[in-house]
Amino acid sequence: MKTKVAVIRFPGSNCDHDTVLALERIGAEPVTLLHHADNLRGLRYVVLPGGFSYGDYLRAGALAAHAPIMDALQEAVERDQVRVLGICNGFQILCERGILPGALHANVSGEFRCRMEWIEVVSTPAAWPGFTPGMRFRLPIAHADGAYRIAEGERKTLWESHSVFLRYHDPVNDSQEYSPNGSVDAIAGISQGSVMALMPHPERAMEQWMGSDDGRRFLSLWLEVNR
Amino acid sequence: MNPQAVGLSASEAQVARQLVGREPNDLEWGLFGALWSEHCSYKSSRRVLAWLPKAGAAVVAGPGGNAGVVRLDDEVEVAFKVESHNHPSYVEPVQGAATGVGGIIRDIVAMGARPVALMDSLRFGDDDRAHRLLNGVVAGVGGYGNAIGVPTVGGEVYYGPGYDKNPLVNVLCVGTRQSGRDVGARGARVGQTVYLLGQATGRDGIHGASLLASRDFSAEDQDMRPTVQVGDPYTGKLLMEATLAAIETGGVAAVQDLGAAGLASSSSELAVQSGVGLELDLDQVPCRELHMSAYEIMLSETQERMLLVFNAERGKEALAAISAWGLTAQPIGRVVAGGRYVLRYEGIEVANLEASWLVDGCPLVAAGSMVPSVAPEVGQAAESVSFEGRDLLAILGDPDCRDRQPIYQRYDSMIQTATVWGPEHDVAILALKGTRYGLYLAISGPGRWAAVDAYAGGRAAVALVVARLATQGAVPLGLTDGLNLGNPDKPEVKAAFEQMILGIREAALALDVPVTGGNVSFHNETDGQAIWPTPVIGGVGRRERPTAPWSDGLSGENLRLILVNAPLVPTLGGSVGERLHGILRAYPRVRLQDLARSAAWLRQLSQNAGGVRAVRAVADGGVWLAVVKMWLAGSAGVGVRLDLDESALSWPRLLCEEVGQFLVAVDESDVRIVLDQLALHGLQTRNLGQSVAGTHLTLRVNGDEVGCWPRQEISAAWRSWEGERGGQRTS
Repeated sequence: MKTKVAVIRFPGSNCDHDTVLALERIGAEPVTLLHHADNLRGLRYVVLPGGFSYGDYLRAGALAAHAPIMDALQEAVERDQVRVLGICNGFQILCERGILPGALHANVSGEFRCRMEWIEVVSTPAAWPGFTPGMRFRLPIAHADGAYRIAEGERKTLWESHSVFLRYHDPVNDSQEYSPNGSVDAIAGISQGSVMALMPHPERAMEQWMGSDDGRRFLSLWLEVNR
Repeated sequence: MNPQAVGLSASEAQVARQLVGREPNDLEWGLFGALWSEHCSYKSSRRVLAWLPKAGAAVVAGPGGNAGVVRLDDEVEVAFKVESHNHPSYVEPVQGAATGVGGIIRDIVAMGARPVALMDSLRFGDDDRAHRLLNGVVAGVGGYGNAIGVPTVGGEVYYGPGYDKNPLVNVLCVGTRQSGRDVGARGARVGQTVYLLGQATGRDGIHGASLLASRDFSAEDQDMRPTVQVGDPYTGKLLMEATLAAIETGGVAAVQDLGAAGLASSSSELAVQSGVGLELDLDQVPCRELHMSAYEIMLSETQERMLLVFNAERGKEALAAISAWGLTAQPIGRVVAGGRYVLRYEGIEVANLEASWLVDGCPLVAAGSMVPSVAPEVGQAAESVSFEGRDLLAILGDPDCRDRQPIYQRYDSMIQTATVWGPEHDVAILALKGTRYGLYLAISGPGRWAAVDAYAGGRAAVALVVARLATQGAVPLGLTDGLNLGNPDKPEVKAAFEQMILGIREAALALDVPVTGGNVSFHNETDGQAIWPTPVIGGVGRRERPTAPWSDGLSGENLRLILVNAPLVPTLGGSVGERLHGILRAYPRVRLQDLARSAAWLRQLSQNAGGVRAVRAVADGGVWLAVVKMWLAGSAGVGVRLDLDESALSWPRLLCEEVGQFLVAVDESDVRIVLDQLALHGLQTRNLGQSVAGTHLTLRVNGDEVGCWPRQEISAAWRSWEGERGGQRTS
């Protein structure tokens, strides 16, 4: 049986459709839920897709964080450890909601960036043993606010609790300090409990002709299915 | 009111008086001023635009609507158009560019098509302000396109002195719709209700069309800033989705977006196209501010608004589809028999005209004769200028040649996950769902090539689009034209416009591709200095198997570099190479029949590739830049050896920018066959050199080694922006 996955659409989401297509490509059954829904229909997997929820006019993700569906999502995470994947704006929403620590600030370049990047798994998320340290993915980024920031004291905790999930990686110089947006410690994604989030877009890397099909591997590991 | 205050000439005002049969009131003058502006009426261009070929096997809708439409296959149609937002972008670059993107997206949506791609064509001066303007314009294009979720898959940017105070921002939008979903402004019927959807109307952009876009600039025009509208991509996204969802229900009879001259132009055009009259009750128009006058309501250019008329059968479903996106359509009037256009406000009739007076009543300027100008004498003097190695590096780093990554990486080029080739290539490729045909897009707007000979520039613009599509073996389906010039009342500008159109016409006929619509932007002139005539041509093409593109990179060693359709006597006219020496002569007139044969050969070859490993169209920077781009796009560990030995012709050969030339890389074992084929097609070829093992590019000219550069040095020269703000990798 196909795994059903909720894809949450806020007004202004614009990667919801791509995420639905990507999930279909790996054999899942995506179900689009709207921002005003008050429950997750019992679904065990949820994606918060990328985009510009509510235009991101206040702060990226700030308004979406208070939509009714986010109450339902937080409750489902706390009570049932529902598996959540936040992509780009979804990451920003999770931080704004306080489900994940830290915040995403404007890129240090002050500009939107869209291009392929390498990311590397730093530590295995407790809920997803399939992601192992050193694993690399080639995925595109497309954001203006992707610089991960966290208070100095919490940063230590973040590392000690193995919450730093993904970092950017520069294969040319094999640099550990490369970041396309100025993220602290080059952090590209974090995970805590049953929630993970990243700035790059796995749903845009599903076929070789898209420039990479590493997104298939990534989403399959998240969904714990064989491709 | 003095009609001149709304931009009308004394004779136009007289024509209006005669049509109306009385002295129009202030509001009516305002309507005439807006609708009869150059921007809305095309009064100086309409008769000349009629010269362009608009029929073709794939054409579903030609010029006249919001966008042209061509057939991709039996299921899918493609709506596309280029539009300019030049004047607003100079006054306020970020919002000017953003609303330009929003406006052309709404045009495509109004054709019932979902926007799938954007391309931008930008021009800036070479003064100190250029960088600031560019930065703002790019932020504006990206800010709107990225947020609304339409990928910017390509574009072009060039620089020239005339663009200092007249930057150009032309945007091409492409959308797709199911075949037969033909909506537009023609379907309104008597008895139906007219609805306004989107933003509440404010006092922004009043008279943007007539007073900002339809006259020349002077130094004091910073006070025009209040006539520029502000873009809201979030509302734009909701409006796009709501409109498409409403159309999807089958309940929409007619739709027209509100752009230049706002409610005035959209409603009167909808009335004329549908052959009906309209009665609008302006009290019903949702306004952002209190006490707006009828004049302000009618002429506001508030963005993100759409005019809709629903049919009796499915109108309710369409309204429900709109509500689902959180928007409300507000009824503002009704469709009546006849052609009368009546406005009421606060219980009083405030305007009563024939809609056709506004839309078709403006006196048109007569067209000149359809005779191409005599090609200017170029002379040979410049051909003898000599070049050194450092000149060649300077050409790579020239603003007209260098890598565009600092710009395009600020655009989302991948959203909608259909982009096979994005802005790092000369042609964009989309793999759409639901069709086996790929959609191929190219854009070209050569101002430098039109500077001396507008006719040659018009030909070259079309030719380069067709050539770029041909590098993938794609068949061109249609073209859209964005024509940018100075003040059309000046004889030299009018002549250049006519010659440019003639050039486009000749090329479109010879290459068998129709022009299905576009946009004219005159008055790109400040303090008497006009821009180069700049014909921006966008083209769409199709081919099967889009996910397996023909490479544009040099993938291995032992490939022969062959120049296809080489001119017998190459010239530096109009090239970056001669500009380096402070010369700007006429650009050559593209040999259209030879290009047609080259394109046919490539299309035939693309079915099986036959040993041709990579293809590029020659353009700015000539063969030199084409070779460098092919090399840098290829694999590391491959070097290039270029050898030109044509005595006096060697340098022009390397740097000639004549469109129609193709650089191909051919397996050594297939060279004989390929050359025989080309000879059969009657095409001239030149052997330029080959790829070799190694990491260097070596250039020999007439037996002397001009340079031997490592890949890193060539790459750094082409990426001359490295180190500038925005181009750096941050860590």
